[in-house]
Amino acid sequence: MKTIINQVLTAASVTLLLASCKPELDIPKAGKGSLDVSTYVAIGSSMSAGYADNALYHDGQLYSYPNMIAQQLRLVGGGEFKQPIVSPSSVGIGASLNARMQLAPVTDCAGTTSLAPAFSAASGDLSILATSVAATGPFNNMSVPGLKATTTVYPGYGDYTQGAGNFNPFFTRMTANPQANSILGDAVAQNPTFFSLFIGSDDVMGYAISGAAADALTPIAGPAGFGFDASIDMIVNTLTANNAKGVVAGIPDVKNIPYFNTIPYNGLLLDAANAAALSAAYSPLGITFQAGQNAFIIEDGNAPAGLRQIAKGEMILLSVPQDSLKCGGWGSMKPIPDQYVLTSDELSEVNESVGNYNTKLKTVATDKNLAFVDVNAFMLKCKSGIVYNGVGLNAQFVTGGIFSLDGIHLTPRGNALLANEFIKAINSKYGATIPQLNATQYRGVLFP
Amino acid sequence: MKKIVTLVTICLPFFLNAQGFQVSLQGQKQQAMAGAGTGLITDGAAMFYNPGGVSFLKSNSINVGVTHVTSHSQFVDASSSKVSETTSPVSFPFTAYAVFGKKNSKLKYGIAAYTPFGSTIDWENGWTGRFVLTHLQLFAVYVQPTISYKINEHLGIGAGFVYGSGKVNLQRDIPVTDSKGNYGHAELAGNAKGYGFNAGMYYQPVKSLSFGLTYHSDVKMKTEKGTATFTVPASLSSSFPSGNFSTSLPLPKIITLGIGYTPCKRFSLAFDASMIGWNTFDTLTFDYEKNTNELQDTKSARNYENAYAYRLGGQYHVSRKVDARVGIKYLVSPVKNGYVGPDVPDATHFNYSAGLGYQLSHHITADASFTFQHMKRMDTNKETQMSGTYKTNIYMPGISINYNF
Repeated sequence: MKTIINQVLTAASVTLLLASCKPELDIPKAGKGSLDVSTYVAIGSSMSAGYADNALYHDGQLYSYPNMIAQQLRLVGGGEFKQPIVSPSSVGIGASLNARMQLAPVTDCAGTTSLAPAFSAASGDLSILATSVAATGPFNNMSVPGLKATTTVYPGYGDYTQGAGNFNPFFTRMTANPQANSILGDAVAQNPTFFSLFIGSDDVMGYAISGAAADALTPIAGPAGFGFDASIDMIVNTLTANNAKGVVAGIPDVKNIPYFNTIPYNGLLLDAANAAALSAAYSPLGITFQAGQNAFIIEDGNAPAGLRQIAKGEMILLSVPQDSLKCGGWGSMKPIPDQYVLTSDELSEVNESVGNYNTKLKTVATDKNLAFVDVNAFMLKCKSGIVYNGVGLNAQFVTGGIFSLDGIHLTPRGNALLANEFIKAINSKYGATIPQLNATQYRGVLFP
Repeated sequence: MKKIVTLVTICLPFFLNAQGFQVSLQGQKQQAMAGAGTGLITDGAAMFYNPGGVSFLKSNSINVGVTHVTSHSQFVDASSSKVSETTSPVSFPFTAYAVFGKKNSKLKYGIAAYTPFGSTIDWENGWTGRFVLTHLQLFAVYVQPTISYKINEHLGIGAGFVYGSGKVNLQRDIPVTDSKGNYGHAELAGNAKGYGFNAGMYYQPVKSLSFGLTYHSDVKMKTEKGTATFTVPASLSSSFPSGNFSTSLPLPKIITLGIGYTPCKRFSLAFDASMIGWNTFDTLTFDYEKNTNELQDTKSARNYENAYAYRLGGQYHVSRKVDARVGIKYLVSPVKNGYVGPDVPDATHFNYSAGLGYQLSHHITADASFTFQHMKRMDTNKETQMSGTYKTNIYMPGISINYNF
């Protein structure tokens, strides 16, 4: 009997010992290749600033792709990455002084309640723009919403004495001297050893999101501060003057962004009676309707009577008031106003600019021996859908998990995926082995 | 007008891979010899290893044993280098065999109970594959009434009916986030049962040499009315209705040919070669009673291949009271590249084992064994696109007591 007890005791003690035997770790070593990442500065527009859900707010900034890149650079000797971060409790502030958006049950004009993006407060947090945080700077993330290639080089870009519309309040709050400093100047003053430049989106975006009714496309030609190419040259020459390395991003085509492709051109659903009534009403213009799906009626100054049916390939923007479509007769009895539509002419202007900007950005990256990220290729991949660590993701509005509730900017998960594209480009250019982010650690859209 | 509806489809099915769960821990003597025991009959565990050989047992016996299984798995994500580990609890697969028959009778009968599955995998919180699997418990007990007949001094046959009963509990996170940042969670739990048989033939042309052939039939472990519980943000609760589900896991047939060789009284060798018929496992299906746009039945491609196991064991009679045993096993994984998952990160591998037997009295013997298994495999799963390296260590010490009468 004693032997049994001994055996049991021996087995038990051996077992206890073994319980602590884990497989040996063999983790690939992170390396910076030929890079010096000690001071990283990011220049970009809203996407780079961490703008999301139609506002600049704390979590958006926290999960901005530059901040995520910086987090990974820290694994290979990167330093602190300061952002002009807003209060975690703030509702944020958007371009129209609005609060950030969130999903909420929304009752439409027809009395139907469904989950839809809604502003989280009646107004944005104006104190964000009214309070300077420059004292806590300088900031490694020199990205501000609305920044263009041209305005990156403007001295006094934050000069509030110029009056609304003539300065950028997002820059005013973060620069030590709003009336004299430029984004580029504040960036190089930090002596960056490494930079990311994702600029050019807003050189078309202001124009595109307003249905070509506001702002203007930045011309290619012209001096720095006026033309795209010269502005890019000035930015990159300045940033690389001390031999800093960096990564340049191309910009996405608008057609791959939910804001432009969520509402179908032929989303006008009619029954036979309504189709007949509309056909009769539009008979002088020769427009006919059938039961089922029809192309919306849009405003077009060049068409007879100033209106026509939208053509396939043209875009109705996400900004169009949903209630006007559902109950206000927009798109059927009344044309959808111009600022909610990108016609094929407007679209080709936009596409031409995007093509030209991308040519310039790619050329400058090659010439200056910098890494290049094809953001449009990334957006295309998102559009066709990706599976990542067991999670299906795509570019669908709200449900896709990549785009935030404004349909233009990314969710934290989308930002992590974008940061990984940057890291891949950096690794391949500079022989580095910076680990990518585990994007499933970051959220998509929040559901109530 | 395209409505903004909340489509967060469970587009990825749950993963289940039974290979590594099929613990070959059905007798301490055999475990010590790498699980070989089809051609070499040593004790009541022959009811599992070869029912045909049971009639050759010299005495009646009762044999109970338990194995203490500790396993650690680790996943290194290829792109982020993030290391995730399992925090799986220890499991205790057990065996119980009782063999009866009149002295010198050609007929022996008995009953066997054993755990062909009996482990739990827990992956650490927030791990890379959390949306594929966070917890998987598979537990089954087989009960096998058995009869064995000795046709003549050289040949025996036997068979047993197998009734399997068990439970399954499978969990994973759902990639939807509520306003506080919490992710959704799915738990599928249910009881499973299945039937099969185990038949064998034992042939001993001369004293020193014996052959065994066994056929373990496949057993379809079916869950008819499991409970699916979804924890999701309130606004999505109608999209993920909790309710019943059904599924089935086809445990494969196993055909084994074994050889026993006893060149001298003190020394025996056993060799088993098995074909494990996993190639019938091509799809794993979960059928939910309540389907929605977001909660569809899932069909997950498995496309397993047949697996092959080769086991070689030796036993040395050290003294009147002590036996020493060693063994080595080589198993060719049924899981093809592109189908490795975190449920059981299977790989072609070796097992190493050793053990001791001790005669405590005329009637009682005690046996102990220890088996170590190490697996390593790098893969990119076709369905989940999880890419990285899995490493697993499993430690399986066990003891049994045998009472002869």
